[in-house]
Amino acid sequence: MLASLTWKDLIGAAAAVALLAIAPLLVKSNYLVGVLTVAIIYGLWAASWDFMSGLTGRENFGYALFIGAGAYTAGFLDTAYMANPWWGLPAGVMAAVGFSLVLGFPTLRLKGPYFALAMLSGAAILQRLMLIFWEKTGGEEGLYGIRPLLDSQLGFYYLVLGATVVSVMILVLLARSSWGVILRAIRGDEASCQAAGINVTFYKIASLAISAGFGGLGGALYAHYQLQVSPQLFSIVTTITVIIMVYVGGMGSIYGAVGGAVLLTLLTELLRDFGEWRLLVYSLILILILFFLPGGLIAPLWRKLRGAAR
Amino acid sequence: MAEILIYGAVTSAIYAMLAVGFTLIFGVARILNLAHGSFYALGAYTAYVLTTVLHLPLLPSAVLAVLFVAGFGVGLERALVRPLRGSQIAVLMITLATSLVVEQVLFLTFGSEYRNVPSLASGKLTLLGVDISAQRLVTLGVSVTALSLLWLFIQRTRLGSAILAVSQDPEAAQYMGIPSDRVFATVMGLSAGLAALAAVLAAPFLTVQPGMGLLPMVKAFAIVIVGGLGSIPGSILGALLLGYSETIVAYLISTSWTELVSLVAVLLTLILRPAGLFGKRAAF
Amino acid sequence: MSALLEVAGLTKRFGGLVAVKDVSFTLAKGEIAGILGPNGAGKTTLFNLVTGFIPPDTGTVVLDGESIRGLPPFRIVNRGLARTFQLCRPFVGMSAQENVLVGCLGAGRHGSETAAARALELLGMVGLEHKARTPSELLPYGDLRRLEIARALATNPKLLLLDEPFAGLGTAEIEPLSDLIRQLHREQGLTILIIEHKLREFMKLVMRVIAMDFGEVIATGGPEQIVRDPRVIEAYIGREEEHAPA
Repeated sequence: MLASLTWKDLIGAAAAVALLAIAPLLVKSNYLVGVLTVAIIYGLWAASWDFMSGLTGRENFGYALFIGAGAYTAGFLDTAYMANPWWGLPAGVMAAVGFSLVLGFPTLRLKGPYFALAMLSGAAILQRLMLIFWEKTGGEEGLYGIRPLLDSQLGFYYLVLGATVVSVMILVLLARSSWGVILRAIRGDEASCQAAGINVTFYKIASLAISAGFGGLGGALYAHYQLQVSPQLFSIVTTITVIIMVYVGGMGSIYGAVGGAVLLTLLTELLRDFGEWRLLVYSLILILILFFLPGGLIAPLWRKLRGAAR
Repeated sequence: MAEILIYGAVTSAIYAMLAVGFTLIFGVARILNLAHGSFYALGAYTAYVLTTVLHLPLLPSAVLAVLFVAGFGVGLERALVRPLRGSQIAVLMITLATSLVVEQVLFLTFGSEYRNVPSLASGKLTLLGVDISAQRLVTLGVSVTALSLLWLFIQRTRLGSAILAVSQDPEAAQYMGIPSDRVFATVMGLSAGLAALAAVLAAPFLTVQPGMGLLPMVKAFAIVIVGGLGSIPGSILGALLLGYSETIVAYLISTSWTELVSLVAVLLTLILRPAGLFGKRAAF
Repeated sequence: MSALLEVAGLTKRFGGLVAVKDVSFTLAKGEIAGILGPNGAGKTTLFNLVTGFIPPDTGTVVLDGESIRGLPPFRIVNRGLARTFQLCRPFVGMSAQENVLVGCLGAGRHGSETAAARALELLGMVGLEHKARTPSELLPYGDLRRLEIARALATNPKLLLLDEPFAGLGTAEIEPLSDLIRQLHREQGLTILIIEHKLREFMKLVMRVIAMDFGEVIATGGPEQIVRDPRVIEAYIGREEEHAPA
């Protein structure tokens, strides 16, 4: 229901953020900071994927397009134009939003699976273009020598954490506002939405643009973390990884998606010796979730915890 | 010109085998099967194992590979797809997960290096002044035969007409006492078998590696969208269109642009005519 | 009384079939009128044309002096013309109150706190306040009808189009729903247009009937007048016998 953010939710969120903020201070390891940085960027991606697809039920299989657009924009600005690297963040957001508008208008008329696959095609086209115009884009290798935003790795981690916390807060609040109600109604029945006086096209495109914008922000941050970008960012594997994180978190809850991302990234690191097995493990997890936990893991768990702490 | 004509025909034939299977599953079960590419990859790898590792003769290996993958398709439908058939999105996700699992298992077993599958026919022939490998001609011949047999099967047999009935109206078919589950399983097997056949035929002149399934899947999807989901004639026409446009683009511009053709075709079709050339229903 | 809705020369073809042919009628403010006709007469298509769900080939639709032809459905709704569907289409996965809330959130009706209260009030009006938190997919069919009406009312309509509101209801549910429609007409000052082919309830409810067959208006008049009209009897009763189930 509307505005059902309780103080328990706030405490839970604060505790989770505090844990993420303190962890690198307790265990002084650059390795851990790196892992957590990636985990939290994935969290931002998963949350913004969930905002559009989880709420409206239109699964976006081309989400990597927005990630890649943000990352490449930041990379270009930095390596080709030597602009102040900070400009990469807003520019990455703008690029992703631009792509979402261009693609959203034609494809959002389509029903679920068709939209999913049209977006998948869109991302594949962009990945292909990166290889075709290799003189400009670096081809398979991508762009190298992107400068870091901050000298301190820990500082950058806090920047990413801060950006993600603010972004996720915005997304959660939007999802719990009348916007969320309308997006969930669109999932239910578009004709009824029209009959209720809702401008369905506007809400679908706007939510795709919002989802894309935060995806682009994450992409730009990721570029400045990896200090390089490659066409692999556009690949279906990137999208699938994000989607699996959302499924683990629980679709439509947003905060669950962040939890799913952190959980899966940490799990990947634990299974580092089985590096090549990562995708296999992810896929098997997805199959298990689909069969046994269709509501996901994190969000239902939190609802239980919250219910128990009366 | 003659080169474009002949090479385009071979490419179209391979695409048609992939697309017809893909569209059959959609027509009958309303499923977009994202594991379709793994049927293709599995077919190629099975043929590789049977011929190169177990040193079996070529022809029986090809037949065994097709049968094995058809069985895999039936098993996939039974074990994973059927329980989730209530939700379109869940089916999309489960077939996607399956394709990832197949790709990863192939990668972990065989590594990422390219493998070779021997040709069924060796040597070269000259046709219309163009040198063309015998394998390509065999591919053309076998796929035309296979598709004709499929057409006969659907038009002339009881099970075939049941498939047609279910694809036109699943509920009505159920009322008339056609066991949909069996029809679904049959179609999954047929579609998997066709994809494997395409792979066995094309593998000698293409690369065999774990990720080889994704691109054919995207192409099958493209063709089916262009031709109209669920329509067999539509997907054959779509295969010809795409096969020839790609061949032309490869000759006129460069082979690195060919993959864009199908993707652009999908986007254009979805924007301009979502029902496709032969589709009955629009995609929205 | 001045005209609230003026429809003139509305035509729609689907391929070779003319689904709605040169239909013209007006609705006065404060009227309850009905559209009568056998299955396939083009009643629902007419509704879809008027409400913008299907674009007409030719003709005009004027609501309260302004043309609404060619506007997207949600804009027409926001101009004050709301509708319900023949088959109830609730938002699955949302509670009854949230279902109505969606209708409160259209353009110019924002402010979610008051919207939630308004949704509850509307549920009360249709007699569902005790089921506000029930997921809509658990509601029985009769309640879904009321929910649809509440959702339509949430858009503050001047004119309400009800597409076969009694379809699928049991005899015990028809009478109370009839009363509800009458009450809305009386207390809210709504103008109402109903499609129906359940003759008895319908005739008691409406002041004026527009009879249709094969996409055309064949007669207009008061209920008593209409049931005696030979063209209506032929079109309606004649066809009814052919595939009369009961």
